[in-house]
Amino acid sequence: MNVEEIFQVIVQHTREIIPELEEHAFRFNDQLKELGANSIDRAEIIALTMDSLSIQVPMLDLSGAQNMGELATLFHEKL
Amino acid sequence: MISVGIEAMNIFAGSAYLDVMQLAKHRNLDTARFENLLMKEKAVALPHEDPVTYAVNAARPLLDRLTPAEKDRVELLITCTESGIDFGKSISTYIHHYLELNRNCRLFEIKQACYAGTAGFQMAVNFILAQTSPGAKALVIATDISRFMVVEGGEAISEDWSFAEPSGGAGAVAMLISNQPHVFRVDVGANGYYGFEVMDTCRPVPDSEAGDADLSLMSYLDCCERAYGEYQKRVAGVDYQQTFQYLSFHTPFGGMVKGAHRTMMRKIVKAAPQQIEADFRQRVVPGLTYCQRVGNIMGGTVFMSLASTIDNGNFDQPARVGCFSYGSGCCSEFYSGIVSKEGQIRQRQLGLENTLNERYHLSMPEYEALLQGSGAIRFGTRNTVLDTQVVPGAWAKSRGKQRLYLKEIREFHRKYEWIA
Repeated sequence: MNVEEIFQVIVQHTREIIPELEEHAFRFNDQLKELGANSIDRAEIIALTMDSLSIQVPMLDLSGAQNMGELATLFHEKL
Repeated sequence: MISVGIEAMNIFAGSAYLDVMQLAKHRNLDTARFENLLMKEKAVALPHEDPVTYAVNAARPLLDRLTPAEKDRVELLITCTESGIDFGKSISTYIHHYLELNRNCRLFEIKQACYAGTAGFQMAVNFILAQTSPGAKALVIATDISRFMVVEGGEAISEDWSFAEPSGGAGAVAMLISNQPHVFRVDVGANGYYGFEVMDTCRPVPDSEAGDADLSLMSYLDCCERAYGEYQKRVAGVDYQQTFQYLSFHTPFGGMVKGAHRTMMRKIVKAAPQQIEADFRQRVVPGLTYCQRVGNIMGGTVFMSLASTIDNGNFDQPARVGCFSYGSGCCSEFYSGIVSKEGQIRQRQLGLENTLNERYHLSMPEYEALLQGSGAIRFGTRNTVLDTQVVPGAWAKSRGKQRLYLKEIREFHRKYEWIA
């Protein structure tokens, strides 16, 4: 799975958590916080993505991303 | 092996509180998403209230129910706090004095952010189990107040003020630990602990707090899984859903607990969303009830949740409560114990819900005045006399109750009096 495909998984889970973003055209430099996701939402999006990608690492290893593209890259490194 | 656990426990949730939905509107937060955070009220400490008064006011009703001979058997007093008032002299010394405890008593204070209450509790449990002084009791008090100001600037460490302000509360939980665990009988040896170094939330300077909300939440979630995982390794045949009829979480705010429970149920139990929601209402919500009315009281929060579970759960049959404690920095623990109908009856006699209902409802201007530091004393204050009338309505509501307040500081020495 490449970074773009992982990015789409993150987008899918973001839309599940915040249905208002159904029509939003997501870009790599989008920030979840700016899109209205609070820290609970952000953690849930990461947890769901970890499940979908069958990644089992501490959540803390996935912290520090500044935008959704960086998050996808972080996930990619854990595959 | 002897039984050990909580003989009695009491809470003190301040004399004044704020409606946090009102606060959210006042701060122009997105109130629709704010509702998911499951916060209702938070206790706000007044200038003449400090960690000592909170602690004494939580403990006094427990000691008043003991005979003088029983009271004399309190031989260990641990204060658990991240709101210390002196780097050397422990808060326990003041508490010991105003509670008029036996002088043959160990006095000290311990710190590990919100895990402190559990650290103190476990040390007290071990003191009883070790039979160091057979028949002795320990008094463990977790007491904290939110610091007023936020550390400004910096890159990573800055407070997500929109969350921290409504969730930061104040409160104390006092527990008598003994070989007569009427209220909560500890499952001895059933402990899973997990800790490591992380800079998530902290109090790096006096009178203020700082943190990284995302890092803290992720660390909490990691610890929730790992601490339980360790418990599971040590306890044969344990099942996250079946073994514990109730779960008491460290509760910074309800939404965080809901997220942690959801993650655990998905990962450990492989439960579907509907099943998770039903399980949350059944096993977790009884413990949230009081927490939602005081905010995050730090060291005592997991025990506030336990007290809430005991008062609001169904204990017609004895039931096992699983407790998860987390303190930033970090250390965490999952442990458990048994609560019976007798324990619930004893706890309900203390009328904890009434103490919450009897608090003064702060108006937004009154709260803003307190937040801007009106009458507040800073760490290291040498001499001052406290103004007890910053919020006159709150003072009036405390009259007639056996409550301690901070009267003055003279050459760093704090002087307290009982409100007449």
